[in-house]
Amino acid sequence: MYLIGIDVGGTFTDLVSVDEAGRVVIAKSPSTPEDPSIGVVEGLARLAEALGITREALLAETGRIVHGTTVATNALLQRRGPKTALLTTEGHRDVLEMREGLKWDRYNLRLARPDPLVPRELRLGITERLRADGGVEIPLDEASVDRAIRRLKRARVEAVAIAFLHSYLDDRHERQVAARVREALPEVYVSISAEIFPRIKEFERVSTTVVNAYAGPTLEGYLQRLGARLAEHGYRAPILIIQSHGGVVPLEEAIRVAAGAVLSGPAGGVAGAKASAGLLGHGDLIPFDMGGTSTDISLIVDGEPTLAADRGIAGERIALPSLDIVTLGAGGGSIASVDVGGVLQVGPASAGADPGPACYGQGGDAATVTDANLVLGYLDPGNFLGGRVRLDDAAATAALTRLGAALDLDAVQAAAGVHRVVNTKMAEGIRLAAVRRGVDPRRFALLAFGGAAGLHGTDLARQLDITRVVVPRAASVLSAWGMLASDLRFEVARTHIGDTGRLDAETLRALYGELEANAGTTMRGWHPGEIGFRRSADMRYGEQVFEIDVPLDHVDWAAGDLMDQVARAFHARHEELFTYALPESDVVLVNAKLAAVGHLDTAPSEPEIATGDPTPATSTRRIHLDGALDAPIFALDRLAAGQQIPGPAIVESPTTTVLLRPGDTATVTPLGWLDIQVGD
Amino acid sequence: MTVDVDPITVSVIQHRLTAIVEEMGEAMLRTSYSQILNSSRDFSTALCTGDGDLVAQAEHIPVHVGAMPWAARSVNEPFGATARPGDVYLMNDPYYGGSHLPDVTAVVPVFAASKLAFWSLNRAHQSDIGGATHGAYNAAATEIWHEGLRIPPLKLYDEGVLREDVLEMLSANVRHPSDFKGDLFAMIGSVHIGERRLQALIAEYGDEVTLAASQAVMDAAERQARAIIATWTDGTYRGEAVLDDDGRGNQDITVRAEVTVSGEELVIDLEASDPETTSFVNSSFANMHSAVAVGVAYMLDPEVPKNDGMLRPVTVKAKEGTVVWASPGAPVTLCTNHCGQEIMEAIIKALAQACPERAMAGWGRRFRIAIKGEDPRSGKAFIWHLFQARPGGGASAGGDGWHGVGEWQAAGGLKFGSLEVAEARYPLFFGRHEFRAGSGGAGRHRGGMGVDLELRLETAAPAVVNTAGDGARHGACGMNGGEDGRPHDYAMRAPGRRRRRLATKEEGVAVAPGTVFEIHSGGGGGWGPATERPAAANERDRREGLLAGRAKE
Repeated sequence: MYLIGIDVGGTFTDLVSVDEAGRVVIAKSPSTPEDPSIGVVEGLARLAEALGITREALLAETGRIVHGTTVATNALLQRRGPKTALLTTEGHRDVLEMREGLKWDRYNLRLARPDPLVPRELRLGITERLRADGGVEIPLDEASVDRAIRRLKRARVEAVAIAFLHSYLDDRHERQVAARVREALPEVYVSISAEIFPRIKEFERVSTTVVNAYAGPTLEGYLQRLGARLAEHGYRAPILIIQSHGGVVPLEEAIRVAAGAVLSGPAGGVAGAKASAGLLGHGDLIPFDMGGTSTDISLIVDGEPTLAADRGIAGERIALPSLDIVTLGAGGGSIASVDVGGVLQVGPASAGADPGPACYGQGGDAATVTDANLVLGYLDPGNFLGGRVRLDDAAATAALTRLGAALDLDAVQAAAGVHRVVNTKMAEGIRLAAVRRGVDPRRFALLAFGGAAGLHGTDLARQLDITRVVVPRAASVLSAWGMLASDLRFEVARTHIGDTGRLDAETLRALYGELEANAGTTMRGWHPGEIGFRRSADMRYGEQVFEIDVPLDHVDWAAGDLMDQVARAFHARHEELFTYALPESDVVLVNAKLAAVGHLDTAPSEPEIATGDPTPATSTRRIHLDGALDAPIFALDRLAAGQQIPGPAIVESPTTTVLLRPGDTATVTPLGWLDIQVGD
Repeated sequence: MTVDVDPITVSVIQHRLTAIVEEMGEAMLRTSYSQILNSSRDFSTALCTGDGDLVAQAEHIPVHVGAMPWAARSVNEPFGATARPGDVYLMNDPYYGGSHLPDVTAVVPVFAASKLAFWSLNRAHQSDIGGATHGAYNAAATEIWHEGLRIPPLKLYDEGVLREDVLEMLSANVRHPSDFKGDLFAMIGSVHIGERRLQALIAEYGDEVTLAASQAVMDAAERQARAIIATWTDGTYRGEAVLDDDGRGNQDITVRAEVTVSGEELVIDLEASDPETTSFVNSSFANMHSAVAVGVAYMLDPEVPKNDGMLRPVTVKAKEGTVVWASPGAPVTLCTNHCGQEIMEAIIKALAQACPERAMAGWGRRFRIAIKGEDPRSGKAFIWHLFQARPGGGASAGGDGWHGVGEWQAAGGLKFGSLEVAEARYPLFFGRHEFRAGSGGAGRHRGGMGVDLELRLETAAPAVVNTAGDGARHGACGMNGGEDGRPHDYAMRAPGRRRRRLATKEEGVAVAPGTVFEIHSGGGGGWGPATERPAAANERDRREGLLAGRAKE
């Protein structure tokens, strides 16, 4: 029996299978952006070939496919979604486009205004209005619905979002209008806000519902094609789709909540990091995924990834809980330049994959971070990406020489400067991200993966006073394997604004009881096995504007002083995040939230590597670390478990290169990972 | 200082300095108590040299940019020679380097090799600073003592020891002492983070290298600014901007800028501006410099670092006793909005003649209202400040103005809250909140729309309204042949009564329960002649219902 993880990226579709013994087999096939399911089926053939069986045999013996897709993301980024309309409360058609009065990039006064996903002429007012207490101020006017439906037909819209003010209190009007639209336009994809995001705050709710309607039809078409293709080849077991919150859901649910997949791109890596935390026995990790154009960082605290509710993409807000991933504009392809003031800058411009760094020899002549790493000797021109790409040393040196000329430096000095500046940027980015989340980075370990991370991790750790850096053997395995370790997750929430001093315990128990019953019913429909529930609430002090997410798993729900315990949990969380609490102030609960988690069998871990005598260095190479020295070069795949490597040294694998600085000591773990103690 | 610093170290230290002020800002966001700080982010963090030159500032509120050095200098003058580690200084007085009274600045000295090397600063807008009305915006004030508590530079901590009596004196003079103290300690925490991280930087690089690199960072910004100014056409240009009134019956108070571009340098002469008034539209000295800095920054490239170097090519001339630089004792509270925005406007209009592509059209002016009353659902008193119904943004060479993003001095940096939340928390009902069709100034690129707001007061007893702002007579200015945006139009209609217009500077207006406010905020200015607007753009505006007279379909 196999488990298969499939991650469709922009260039390659990565597939990985794990068998009962934990053996991991990887295959890659070119992505097919027009219909990514073609690339998936082709990739399955390659995976089967690598396993020495037929595709049909592989699919017949597979118990679960977990799939990460960027189809919904790309529909938004490329504005390739369907013609979408918004039906909303009359007098409030511009919530989507006002964006709370904010404009980003304040000093760029010439920044063009972004188009909203729904143009103003397709944002149609419906005569109806609820009050903040749920009372009806204006009953639903059917004639206004008729008018709107005629407009929808005339404009030939393909998707409709329905979001009315205060519908989180009472979804009647939204449901009535949805029923009328579905009846009149049965082909149209309809999303209603009370289903997608039934919480107070109209901008978050409207925007999330519109994103759902906009991304929905594209994702639906793709997933249905994928399901059909896999069925054609004999697959009968579940297809699970990875979501922005890091959990997985069945295919049908992914179609219903399309907005839930939009930010799922890096979710596999975070899931892998979460799994690593368990393996390493270190619950506090900073996954650091440095790629070609950007670097994704996130936080694993006490073994759990942190979630955020304020993320967005391409100017649109998606308020559904999503893995809290911060993207820094620095990667291997980041271009170094000297600004008009004469100061060296690295990024945010990137050479991308085409033309790429100068050393790729594809016509790029800008000096990039990768070129600097090559000039410093950290990369082996003949053995980059397992020898698949031959790096042009001379082109990199020429690019750095040109850069250095503007600074009165030679190529090596300029390269050292680029390396230092990009490390400073990333270290400060990580520090800010940690500060924002109320954690001290010093107690964390850095989990370095992604092609370029290994060369920068040990210096970043020094700058952040972090003492441990861990490099997994293969990042792509980590990501796919993390996906296979993800549990089923279904989230529900209800806005119930109340002062914890006045809200009584019975009401709160009933509220969560109802959420649990609803979520439990859904989850049991997906999953026969064990189900867990996670309770939390959005809470704030009386006069505050922002709510914070307060986990309520550790309160005693049966206790007589339940409300006091809930308030105490809030004070404690507030203190953790903001350094202070106000125990005398009123505490307000705004949203009750619950996640049902269906525990799936985890993939067996990889087989351990052999222990034995330390494997010697394969060669030495001249590198520059505050002066030139000859560093021993090790092959990661050939190291013995338990072997220790002191820095300075370079450890290479087909997917990454790791730089050990003087004072660092790397220990090879039983899984063949590097566990680096930074500094003396 | 003659140490030679290599260019890589300069770049690294520049990134570190920027990260330090950002971390100071993050700490402030996380620890401040008032909404105006943690939601609207009306605060700034900065590092200055011992002499008060701005080295780095977090880009929160543009209008604070040029004001911080004056705060540092105002503290340096009396205390610089005797400052000790652990001292914390405080100031807000517009006649001692402050902008307006609500903006209180906390300052700590940072030492290198036991010599004063830097100041770490945090300026934050307090929700109340005493005085005759809540929240400091007092349209009735005729002198600064009506506006609140003046804090000339003083020592709050003496080598780490809090002067409790001073703190008590300050908190006794504001309306919400616990909020005031909470925000104050957040500010002090933030400047101490700046101090600690600067000291780590100094420990790593040594005092000489750190100081020399800081100078190099400012020199680099200066070179960038000079390189841009050098591309502008030399000459002397005039621009003026006109305030509606002073709230005392005097209309069309004018700010006049004569700007000379000469090679890489600018001379900005505001001396011909109108005399000071008796109301809060006067600017303080520091705020004038700040408004000049923002005006200039808006003409440069967004990536030019906001530090002292950026301003070195600029010489400012002004006369005390004019509306841009009030003489001691005059009220100034509105000046960070108005006449601060008019100073920027006059400068940008002048420079539009030297480099038209860089000059963007005017953004709407601020017109705030505050409602004070009792919520019949809870019996509790409430004060609500209007942040909704933002005016339109100005158009630019880059395209049409943004709709409803607010005023020039904040440039889209202030967020308005959820209407659903406002209805749940205050006795208010928002009947309508949509773009105001036809309000953006015409032009090749059209100004952004203001917003129509229909707001019903649902109290059981009468409430009281104060207003503070400008722009009900003069709309946001058009640029390079674009037209002005429509001005604000605010009114209220009590049940059974006739519509009553709200003026921009009113204090203590009684409002009957059930009164509906009919608020139409102004649009942004247009850019370039309207005759050059592509037909497709006009057709799109028509389709979107944004043309005048097509508000309802």
